[in-house]
Amino acid sequence: MTARSGPIIALFPEASFGAALNCVGIAQVLRERGARPVFICHPGFTGLFADYGFAEHHLSLPGKEARPDTWQDFVRRHLPHFNLSPLEQLDTYVAPTWEAIVDTAIDAEPGLNALLARLKPDAVVLDNVIMFPTLATSGIPWVRVVSCAETELPDANVPPYLSGLAAEDAGRADFERRYLAAVAPAHERFNRFRASVGLPALPSSEFLEPSPWLNLLLTPDIVKRHRTRPLDPRKFIYLEGCVRSEGPFEPPEFPDGKGPLVYLGFGSLGAGDVALIERMISVFATFPARFIVNVGGFRDAYRAVPDNVYLDSWFPQPSVVAQCNLFIHHGGNNSFCEALYFGVPSLVVPYCWDGHDNAQRAVEAGVGLRLDRAKWTERELVSAMSTLLGDASMRRRLKENSATMSANPGTVRAADAVLALVGR
Amino acid sequence: MQTVPKRPRSNHLDLAQRILDAVRQGGFRLGDRLPEQQVATLCNVSRTPVRAALHLLSEQGVVVWEKATGFTLAVDPAATLGAAAELPSADEDRLADSILRDRAARRLDGTVTAAGLSRRYRKEKRTVLKSLKILEAENWLEKAPGQSWLFRPAQEGPEAIAESYDYRLLLEPASLLEPGFRADETQSSALRLGMEAQLASPESAFDIREFQRLDLAFHGMVARGAANRFVGQSLADHLRLRRLPGMLHGVNVFRLKQSTREHLAILDQIEAGQFEAAADLMRLHLRLSRSQRPQAASRGAPVLPAAAERRGR
Repeated sequence: MTARSGPIIALFPEASFGAALNCVGIAQVLRERGARPVFICHPGFTGLFADYGFAEHHLSLPGKEARPDTWQDFVRRHLPHFNLSPLEQLDTYVAPTWEAIVDTAIDAEPGLNALLARLKPDAVVLDNVIMFPTLATSGIPWVRVVSCAETELPDANVPPYLSGLAAEDAGRADFERRYLAAVAPAHERFNRFRASVGLPALPSSEFLEPSPWLNLLLTPDIVKRHRTRPLDPRKFIYLEGCVRSEGPFEPPEFPDGKGPLVYLGFGSLGAGDVALIERMISVFATFPARFIVNVGGFRDAYRAVPDNVYLDSWFPQPSVVAQCNLFIHHGGNNSFCEALYFGVPSLVVPYCWDGHDNAQRAVEAGVGLRLDRAKWTERELVSAMSTLLGDASMRRRLKENSATMSANPGTVRAADAVLALVGR
Repeated sequence: MQTVPKRPRSNHLDLAQRILDAVRQGGFRLGDRLPEQQVATLCNVSRTPVRAALHLLSEQGVVVWEKATGFTLAVDPAATLGAAAELPSADEDRLADSILRDRAARRLDGTVTAAGLSRRYRKEKRTVLKSLKILEAENWLEKAPGQSWLFRPAQEGPEAIAESYDYRLLLEPASLLEPGFRADETQSSALRLGMEAQLASPESAFDIREFQRLDLAFHGMVARGAANRFVGQSLADHLRLRRLPGMLHGVNVFRLKQSTREHLAILDQIEAGQFEAAADLMRLHLRLSRSQRPQAASRGAPVLPAAAERRGR
């Protein structure tokens, strides 16, 4: 098969780094297989996919040009909410977020319709949490990527989505009731929109139906839950993570650096919480390790950085995690999967969304610990890091699991499944 | 462990690197004699700095000197690319490197004092002052009133980097277009070899430090080739700021390879004397490099004004 004759696979990730980079991993293998992967992307992501050598096609979102300070405003507005419990976040963060996501789906409709007509893809890989009706009615085979935690697909044995609860938690029913109430306005609005374009309504907790063709879950076996109603293996494939390949990373020189290497990355959202990261750095200064800290676009906010800390605005994260002894993250599913893929323990400091679910699962599955974002003390942070760095048994189990995951990478499984779908 | 990319400590160090490039390009082999005049001609400089640079290489074991024969190659030049970057430096040079490294890592504030640096690095004040003088001579910082030294604006943060590209978009094509532009042919050939070797390496083994060295050398060559001395000097001064440690941490390897191919295409046009085409390709190269990583967005991306107004929120 030559590149010229390969099928066109349009990858359509939501406007988040996790989904975007997850799709980059799949697209890299599709390209190796001779397919022609192209990206349908949010205008704010201009250049990200081109940097990896992929064609970008921007969704037209009239009137949606973000101001330079939009993101900072958003972070500033929501930072206090991230200190709340998952239950308290339902009204303050989850409900407005679903409203915004519904807006995106409605606003993208005309532009997406035009793009699909122009690109004529053989299949679309949708890595999002909401359906785009024009895709459902286009007749083009589409693949759903569940790049959130497994909780995105409900089951009696799976805790409620975004709850951070254990499956059997006594508060489960209350959380579910309040979740449905909080998201009802957005859900009803979305269902009205679906009806207007001839699509059936979705059940009350769902914004995205399973694909009738193919569904891909990132969930690695080591944290997978045993469902009361197992997913149909003909339509649902577990990827065991989906880690893109990045260029090599050489740890920077530390003035007095010795000891294990720890990476802190709270994702694009968490990087805005300068006060939290500064407080953590002050603890790192006293801990016998070297710390690499991802501070996103807020590098200028830091000064007097300790000698055993190195911070920067971006890192080739998989290549960094591969060399680390501990990964402190926000529970974003990509970060969690990368830690598992490379056999590195996680210290999860969840902010929101499925970060809560992954924090809970990390503890349950014995692959990490959770630290309360709002209430942690210096002693707790030091204790958690010491425990995770010193737990030889956990490390051994993680390394064995890493060998299994890397023997059959999720990116390859995903690309092969997509190509099988389009008959190549 | 990554070592910190070195500043241009002296012309001799740069020249030592150029000598290595030139002898490799010239097909010299282990044991070959390196007459000073021949090397000076190859590098387009006089014999005096060549002698000093050869002595630096001699200290590194790359060449040996004997009274009867002069300098001869002590190693296979093909295997010693970059060896000059490992040359030992004086105490004040090493301290200057550490100061730059720690400023880049935001361990040092924008204003420092010799006394403060002396305490931090446990060095005598006179050594610190020598290091500060070195950095001042290279435009990294300047003396402020009183006892303070002030770091000059560096290429940190998206806005400063964008402004730097805008500046280079003005001057680098202009350097190529000015009648009389002249590229160093020996260096051009050595750069081509290095870039082709980089393109041949898989992404997983891509040497980012080597890319940085070649990138700086390539754009430095364009600056030095300028017929207008003020354009050349301004560019050279500005390009030096790109040597700050960590400048390339956030750059994707795919883009670095793409950038290398763009360098080669520009070299093709320069060598063919097609300077207008070279300038056009340079503009394109700089514009593509200027392209910023996206502004962050995330699940629950900001509710933008139009949507909020439509729903009356």
